[in-house]
Amino acid sequence: MIQTPLLEVLRYLGYGAHHPDIETAALIAARMEAVEQAADPRWLSLELPLTLQTDGVCLGDWFLPSRKLLAHLEGCTAALLFGATLGVAVDRLIARGEAGRVAEAAMDQAAAAALIEAVCDDACDQLAARYPGQYLRPRFSPGYGDLPLTVQPELLARLDAPRKIGLTATSSHLLAPVKSVTAIIGIAPHPGACHAGGCATCSKQNCTFRRDTL
Amino acid sequence: MTCLDALRRQRLFFDGGTGTFLQARGLRGGELPETWNLLRPDEITSLHAAYLEAGSNILCTNTFGANALKFPAGGQFSVEEIVSAGVTLAREARAMSGRKDVFIALDMGPTGKLLKPMGDLDFEDAVALYAQVVKAGAAAGADLVLIETMSDSYEAKAAVLAAKENCSLPVIVTTVYGENGKLLTGGTPASTVALLEGLGVDALGVNCGLGPAQMVPIVEELLSYTSLPLVVNPNAGLPHQVDGATTFDVGPAQFAAHMEHLARLGVQVLGGCCGTTPDHIRAMIAACKDIPFTPPSDKGRTLVSSYAQAVEIGPRPVVIGERINPTGKPKFKQALRDHNLEYLLNQGFAQEEGGAHILDVNVGLPELDEPALLEEVVCALQGVLTLPLQIDTSDPAAMERAMRRYNGKPMLNSVSGKAESMEAIFPLVKKYGGVVVGLALDENGIPPTAEGRVAVARKICDTAARYGIPKKELVIDPLTLTISSEPEAARITLEAVERIGKEVGVATILGVSNVSFGLPQREMVNTAFYTMALQRGLSCAILNPNSAAMMGAWRSYCALAGLDPQCGSYIAAYGGQNVPAPAAPSVTLSLGECVLRGIREGAAQGAKALLAEGKPPLDLVDQVLIPALDQVGQGFEQGTLFLPQLLMSAEAAKAAFEVVQSAMAGEDRPSQGRVVLATVQGDIHDIGKNIVKVLLENYSYEVIDLGKDVPPQQVVEAVCRTGALLVGLSALMTTTVVSMEDTIRRLRAACPQVKIVVGGAVLTPEYARQIQADCYAKDAMATVRYAEQVYQS
Repeated sequence: MIQTPLLEVLRYLGYGAHHPDIETAALIAARMEAVEQAADPRWLSLELPLTLQTDGVCLGDWFLPSRKLLAHLEGCTAALLFGATLGVAVDRLIARGEAGRVAEAAMDQAAAAALIEAVCDDACDQLAARYPGQYLRPRFSPGYGDLPLTVQPELLARLDAPRKIGLTATSSHLLAPVKSVTAIIGIAPHPGACHAGGCATCSKQNCTFRRDTL
Repeated sequence: MTCLDALRRQRLFFDGGTGTFLQARGLRGGELPETWNLLRPDEITSLHAAYLEAGSNILCTNTFGANALKFPAGGQFSVEEIVSAGVTLAREARAMSGRKDVFIALDMGPTGKLLKPMGDLDFEDAVALYAQVVKAGAAAGADLVLIETMSDSYEAKAAVLAAKENCSLPVIVTTVYGENGKLLTGGTPASTVALLEGLGVDALGVNCGLGPAQMVPIVEELLSYTSLPLVVNPNAGLPHQVDGATTFDVGPAQFAAHMEHLARLGVQVLGGCCGTTPDHIRAMIAACKDIPFTPPSDKGRTLVSSYAQAVEIGPRPVVIGERINPTGKPKFKQALRDHNLEYLLNQGFAQEEGGAHILDVNVGLPELDEPALLEEVVCALQGVLTLPLQIDTSDPAAMERAMRRYNGKPMLNSVSGKAESMEAIFPLVKKYGGVVVGLALDENGIPPTAEGRVAVARKICDTAARYGIPKKELVIDPLTLTISSEPEAARITLEAVERIGKEVGVATILGVSNVSFGLPQREMVNTAFYTMALQRGLSCAILNPNSAAMMGAWRSYCALAGLDPQCGSYIAAYGGQNVPAPAAPSVTLSLGECVLRGIREGAAQGAKALLAEGKPPLDLVDQVLIPALDQVGQGFEQGTLFLPQLLMSAEAAKAAFEVVQSAMAGEDRPSQGRVVLATVQGDIHDIGKNIVKVLLENYSYEVIDLGKDVPPQQVVEAVCRTGALLVGLSALMTTTVVSMEDTIRRLRAACPQVKIVVGGAVLTPEYARQIQADCYAKDAMATVRYAEQVYQS
C-alpha cells in the first residue's frame, strides 16, 4: 500500500509550514489510516503516437487544441493517456464525515487528495521503468492552462476507464469518483528543460495551497 | 428446448472476446465497435461464425456499449438501429451455421457513468437507457438478455428492472470482481447473489477482470450461495503491457484446463471474455463437454444485502436496530418535519457502532408525504452506511418506492395474514426481492394462542408460495404483547417462536421491548425475555443496539450457543475492560476551553454543568460559546490556528448548542438570519459548502442547505420561499462557475434584494466581481463575517 505523505496532507489542510498540535495530529493520522483502508487505488495508461501541430497536438487520430499542452510536449515522440482513482469508497467515507463530523471530513478529503497524488507518482515511476532510456514528462491534466475539461469523456473512453477502473465523468466533465486524476504524459528521447508540473503550471498565483508560497 | 430449460438442464457455452478480434480487423482506438453492425456487418458475422464453429451455443450480440449516452438521438446511428442490426447479424450467423442449439444473447454492458449519489446518473435514467436497448433487442428477436461486466450493483439492478419491465426473455447477469474479491463499488459475491436472486434473474455469474485461475475463490463463494445456474466468463489471464499494448497471457490449452476445473466445481455455463479467442473456446469445450452436468440446487440460505455486504439470517441470530423510527420520540419527529436527514444518519451511525446488523427505517408521520420521504431517507442512508436496511412502513406505495431505489435486497416490515396485506406486498417482493416480515395476525386479529399464531404463519407461507416466494424469504413475527396487561403473553409468544421455527420451518423475528411496557426497569425484563426467545430459536430481533444490556445478552448467547468461535466477538467487545481506566485529568476543562480545544464530549458536559448551576441558556450562548468561537475564528483569520482546529471547535460548540437547545424546551435560539447555501448545478464537490454551513449554524444563522448539483431555479425558489437575505454558492471548476453565473443572473432578476457570496477553488475576488457576486469569501470564516455584515446592517 502506498503511504499518504503527511506533509502534503498538512498542506491541503492549510498548515503551510506550521505543525498541528498533538491532539489534532493524532486525529489526522487516524483519518489518513481510514482513507488508506477505504481506498482501492487503480490506474491505467495507453500509449499513443504523438504529432505536434501549430495550435495543439494529435494523439493518434485525436486532436487536442491546446497551446499549453503543445509547449509541454515539446520534444516528445509519443504520449500516454493516464487515469487513476481511489475508488468510490473514499467518496462515501468523506460523505459520511460531512453528516456531522466535518473536521474528519476535511481531514479525509485532504488525506485522499494527498494519497491520489502519491498513487499517480508511484504509477508514473512504474511507467518510467517501462521506457528505459526515455524520459516521461510531468502529468498534464484536463483543466490545466488551455486544455479544456471537455476532453475528459473522450480521454476516459479511449482508456476504457469506466469499465476497467470505474473512473467516469459527470455531464459537467468532473471526475467521479471525486478522488481521481486524468492526465497526458509525454515520452521524450531526451530530458527536457525544467518542466515543472502541478502548482508551478497553474495561473492562480495567490492560491493558499500553492507550494512555492509555503 | 427453450433457453430457460437449456440453462437448467445442460451445460451451455458462451462465446469469447470481441475486442481483440475486431482490432485485428482494423477497429481504431476511439471507434465505437457497435458501429460495425452497420458499417462492417460482414466482420461481425464472421466473428459470430468463428465462435459457432468453435462450438459456442450462446452468441453475444455486438451491443455491449449500445446506449443513448454513446449513441445520442440525432447522431449517425440510433440505438435502435445499432441494437436491431446487432441481433439480426447474430441470428443470420446462426441460420447460416444450420445449428438449432444456439441462443442469441442481447448483450448490455455498463453505461460508463456512475449513478447518484456518487456520480450524476439518476437511477431511473439508467433504467430508461437500458429499457431502450431491451425493447429494440427483444423486437429484433434476441433469445435472452445478458447484462455483463457490471461492477456496480445499483447499475445492475437498473438494467435488470429494465429487462424485466420491457420483455419476457430470460435474464443473465455477470459481474466483475477485482483481485480483492469485490466489485469496484464494494459488493461481495454474497451481496451480489442476494440482490440478483431477489430481482428474479435466471442465471448469474462472473466475467472479465480476472483470469480463470484467479476466479476460483470467487466461484466457490458464489456456488455456496446461489441457487441459480452459475456463469463464468473469464479473461485469458491478467492483462500485461507489451510494447504499449495490452495482451493476455493464458493460451487456449491452459485456459481449457482451468475451465475444466471450474466445470468440475459445479459451474453450469462457461465462456470467455477479454483476450479469449475462438481457439480458447474450442479448447474449453473439448475439455468440458463430457464433464457431468450439475443442475443448480436450492442452497436454502436467507440473505439480506446492502450495496456492500450481505447479512445471513441463521444460524447466528440477527440484530436489527430500531432507532430510526419516530414513535414516541419528539426530537426524531421534529427532525423529520425539518427534513433534517443528518439527524437520521447519525442515528444510523450510532446503531452501526453499537453492533446492529440491519437497520429498521420507519419515517411514518401522518402529516408527511411518506412515500417521498421514505425513498429519500433510504437513499441518504445507503449513500453513507454499509448496513442493509429493513424498510418499515404500512403504506404499500411507500414500500414500493423505497424498494425500487434500494441498492440491495432489503428486509421488509411487514406483511400480515390479512388477504389485503398479502395481495399488496407479495407482488412487490416477487418483483424487487426482499426478506419479508410476516406478522402472525389476520382479519380475526392476533390469535390468543400459540396454536393460532402458528396457523397464521402457515397461511402466510402458503400464500407467499403461490406468488413464487419461498419460505426462506419469510421471517414470521409471532408478536410480543405486554405482560403487565396479559400475564400469559410472553409464554404464548415464546411457545409460538419455537413452534413456528420447528413446525412451519421458517425463521422468526420479535420486536422485544413491547413486552415490558408499563413496568419499571424495563431493560431487565427485555433482556431476560430476549435471552429466553433466543433459547427457543428466535432468528432476528428488533431492538436498541445502543443498549449495553441487550447487546450483552446477544453476545453472551452467541458465545454460549457455540455461534461465536473462540468467543472471538465476545472478547473483542468486552476484553480489556477490567483494566483500570487511566486517571481522569485532575482539572476539568471549562466549557470555553473545551470549545477552544475542540473537545466535543467535554463541551456537551460543560454546557450541562453550567445549566445545572442555573446559568440561563441564552447567557451561556452569549457569554461563553460565542466568545470562544470568536477567539477560534480570529485565530484562524490571523493564521495562528488552522482549518482542522476551527472545525473541531465548531463541532464542540455544536454539541454544546444541542444541550442548550434541549434545555430551552421547544424554544428556538434567536436566529441571526437565514442563509441559503448550494453547490451549483453540475458540481459535486461540496465539502467547502458543508464547512461553511457548520460555521454559520454555530453563529446562529438558520441555514437552508440545498445540497450539491443544485439547478439555478431551485436556488431562486428557496430564496423566494424563505425570504433569506443572503445566498452562498460554491463551485470548484471553471466549467461549473458558468452555472454559478447563471444562478446569480436569475437571482438578480427574481430577488434583487438578496446578497450573494461565492467561494470555491477557482474563484478569485476579480472572478467573483466579473460574475456579479457581491462578495468573494476565501474561506468559511470570511462567509461568517460577510453574513454578519449583511444581517447587522
